[in-house]
Amino acid sequence: MRLDFNLTSNIENNVLVIKTEGYINNDGGEKISKEFEEHFTKGINKVLIDIKSSKVINSIGISYLIEIIEKLNEKNGSLYFCNMDSTIEKTFNIMGLFQFAKKVDSVNEIE
Amino acid sequence: MDIDLLTEKLSLQVQSFQESFEMLSNSFSISAMALAFEKIIRGNFVTTQTSIYYRFSETSEWESLVSKNDYDFAKISKFDFPVGTKILSDQDSNELVIITKLNDNSALAIILGSRLSGEKYSDIDKVTLQIFVQLFDNASQSFLLRKNEKQLIFSLNNKVAQLNNLIDTGIEISKISIGDELLELVLFRAITLTNASFGRIQQFDENKLVDEIVFPPNIVPGENKVVSQIGYSFNNANYRLELYNKESRSGIIRFDETDELLINAIIKQVESAIENKKLHKEALENEVMKSELAVASEIQKRILPDVLPQIKGYDLAGINIPSKEVSGDYYNVYTLKDGRYAHVVADVTGKGMPASLLVSTLDASLQSYLDMQTPLSEIALKLNSIVFNASTSDRFITFFIAILNPDTGEMEIVNAGHNPALILKNDNSIYKINAGGIAFGMFDMGLPFDVEKLTLQRGERLFIFSDGIPEAMDKDENEYSDERLEKFFTINNELSSNDFINLIIEDVKSHANGEPQSDDITAIYLIRNYK
Repeated sequence: MRLDFNLTSNIENNVLVIKTEGYINNDGGEKISKEFEEHFTKGINKVLIDIKSSKVINSIGISYLIEIIEKLNEKNGSLYFCNMDSTIEKTFNIMGLFQFAKKVDSVNEIE
Repeated sequence: MDIDLLTEKLSLQVQSFQESFEMLSNSFSISAMALAFEKIIRGNFVTTQTSIYYRFSETSEWESLVSKNDYDFAKISKFDFPVGTKILSDQDSNELVIITKLNDNSALAIILGSRLSGEKYSDIDKVTLQIFVQLFDNASQSFLLRKNEKQLIFSLNNKVAQLNNLIDTGIEISKISIGDELLELVLFRAITLTNASFGRIQQFDENKLVDEIVFPPNIVPGENKVVSQIGYSFNNANYRLELYNKESRSGIIRFDETDELLINAIIKQVESAIENKKLHKEALENEVMKSELAVASEIQKRILPDVLPQIKGYDLAGINIPSKEVSGDYYNVYTLKDGRYAHVVADVTGKGMPASLLVSTLDASLQSYLDMQTPLSEIALKLNSIVFNASTSDRFITFFIAILNPDTGEMEIVNAGHNPALILKNDNSIYKINAGGIAFGMFDMGLPFDVEKLTLQRGERLFIFSDGIPEAMDKDENEYSDERLEKFFTINNELSSNDFINLIIEDVKSHANGEPQSDDITAIYLIRNYK
């Protein structure tokens, strides 16, 4: 199947920054989760997901993000989001993601 | 064993149980729980190795959670699904095996390898292992409860998000016009709400595909494996929404009734928005039309006479009853500078603003030419030219004018395509005035209009009317007819002009018998008195 999701990542100030592009569905969620696990097992416990280029997310994609939040909480880590589309931000709010994750403007805001 | 030592050992064991339970309970999965459990077991029994196996249900197979050799797996595979708890000790290999059915009807099997100390497993060890397995069972129940609770909260939050998304979609749909932007919005929301992997909206024109929007954009539905799909046509089959492959964490599943409800709700919102926009457009057009009619009506009011002039020695009456708000008919009686009177009845094809403006032009031009005492044949030619140039090819005016010298009763008459006016002679015979030419505005080739001259004798009556009278219809579309009009004209030869007009209108209405007036009714009735 041709897929419509890509991501890039880098470490900035000990924060894993994942930039997504495309539909965050099962495939997108899996890719984010895999990228997260790879760095999480090496001790990274702060993650910023930049979803500027993702305008659509479904509940399967959200379930992967919730798992990431739970794993980070175990290690006293945090998940951050930036550049959210207003519809996605509202959905995250309703789904309770902001009880544990935070919204920031850039990686520089993360201490 | 010394009592104190036993008490201390038991106390440590209880503490170990509590810590173990806490560790197991905080696990994120059965696998993670098994890994933690293996550490606990090995710490307590100091074994060479420990293998843990799990069966989700009676119908599933054993799966390895923690195992470092195939030998143990082969051994466990021989065991049936347990009814309760079974502990087996192998005296030769010094292994301890426990197989138990857990509370959620899954099963757990543990193989403790020989102890590093070489000691054999005692009965107390068997009991201790049973207690640990019970701990695992309780912790797994706790884990499953928490997992179910999380799933329930997630599901509830998701329903709220779906509902909220649906409401927002309705609001957004109402804001934008039908087009690619609206269709994209509908597709995005439908895909998100149903967890579809991809989808498309196709637009048809008489069953021919004219446009297609696909999301994600680089997906080609025909080239991707489709496991489940759902599709709806809407807006009289002009559009079709198709969604493919409903996602779940365990793979692609079928679209369900909730998906159908959600899609139906979105489609109804789109159809409602399309209908509302159509109605809004119609309302605006109606508003424009009403406004035009109001202006046209105002123009007409200024053209039609409030009162007709009193002509000495004559009895004159006129009427105009529009069939709709603005009449296409027109009449007037002008007093000329030389003491004559011009009686005019005209009928414009069409109604509304264009007809009113045309009549207004005709009226202004006519008055100017009458004031300039232009000969009637020339007036007719000039008016024809003006109407021809001022109107479209489908619009023309039938026109009747009779200029009366009141002293002599002499009349100059032009009839440009209008119904023949009637004169009731003193012998009660009818004379039809046909003189003239074609209606104004049909051609502009300089064709002359015949001017008929005749004298209205004392006692004689002139009736100029529009086709709204003879062509008035009843419910079976039977016309009032020229014959009935002429008969009425002949019989009612004693009435005053006002009474005649009123009575013939009543007769026409009686013929129509409640049917709506099909055309404008306009008439002038002139009697030359005996004195």
